Amino acid sequence: MPTEKEFQIAPIVPESVIHNTKALSNLQNLTASIFGAAAGILGLESYSGFLFYFVFTILTTVLFYTIRVAPTSLKAGHAMFDTGRYFRSSYEFWAGGLFGGLAGYILTWTLFYGLVRA
Amino acid sequence: MAQLPAQTIHRDPQLFYWILFPITVVMVLTGILRHYASVLMATQPKRFDQKSIKEQRSMVHGVATRSNFHVLSAPSFRARRDYLTNAYESGAFLKDPDRRGQPPANPMTDPNAMDGMMGMMKNNMAMMIPNTLIMSWINAFFSGFVIIKLPFPITVKFKSMLQAGVMTKEMDPRWMSSISWYFLCIFGLQSVFNFILGSDNAASQMAQQMGAMGPQAGPQMFGPGVDPDKQFKTEAENLAVVEHYSVLDDVEDRLLESIKSK
Repeated sequence: MPTEKEFQIAPIVPESVIHNTKALSNLQNLTASIFGAAAGILGLESYSGFLFYFVFTILTTVLFYTIRVAPTSLKAGHAMFDTGRYFRSSYEFWAGGLFGGLAGYILTWTLFYGLVRA
Repeated sequence: MAQLPAQTIHRDPQLFYWILFPITVVMVLTGILRHYASVLMATQPKRFDQKSIKEQRSMVHGVATRSNFHVLSAPSFRARRDYLTNAYESGAFLKDPDRRGQPPANPMTDPNAMDGMMGMMKNNMAMMIPNTLIMSWINAFFSGFVIIKLPFPITVKFKSMLQAGVMTKEMDPRWMSSISWYFLCIFGLQSVFNFILGSDNAASQMAQQMGAMGPQAGPQMFGPGVDPDKQFKTEAENLAVVEHYSVLDDVEDRLLESIKSK
């Protein structure tokens, strides 16, 4: 854990942290709604629908990591799958989107399921 | 228990056009309306006279000096501290120095204080009124219709919530009435508003409740009913106990260390 003095030598800019988190959560909200539409059109039910959501959200996060985070983060000497260069906690990066987008996913899933299987 | 065959209910497709879509569209439009209403109703920052601005800014100056002391060199920090502490203790920054030591005015009688409370009231109203209106609208026009089926099974306990107004005992709790579609919209539309209005919108009441808990502390510092003289005294004490060091202490050692390790 870095001490207070290390934070003062290399300060964290809150605006940048907010911007990064917002970019990630925007992407996750958008993809959650689109996955909901896809699951509804495919007619997935109960477990397979939730599995679909989890698999594809994790896939999105991995893609986000490989395309946006990894190139500069690996170059700067971070380990593989370490998001410390752009995000405070790696838990927030890897699992935060799962629950943030769930409500939007269920809404579009129900809507499209109802429309297609009416 | 034997596996029951899945219930199928033949629904008129007109239900979609006259119930599902109107509710969804109204929910989205209400969110947009709420966003713009809260933008319009946002209170203009008030104009203060020069003296009260001076009082506030000098307080902020003290806090900034205290929390960023590490970027100042020792002599310049000492100079700032001496200046601020002297001015705080002599009351040079006070709005009306004659009132030192008197109790602060009652916040209820201060017209400045009412503005903050009115702002909170307005926000709450902007949330409450559309919700009540829409709920009674749905209850009046659409109660008792079964419009859509959830794609995942839920327990019977949800039946009374999801099928409010539908008095059918044997029906699968997965079938939803119009009022429960309304609740689903409340929770799920946040992402839709994010695309339409940008991510720091005021459309969803969920986001508003989150936001209401966070940034309370900031403006409270100069809130009504607080004696500025006492705050200045406290700040002077806080400044006095700062143990100063600079980030540039030993910087040459750290630089050599980082070069050596490469």
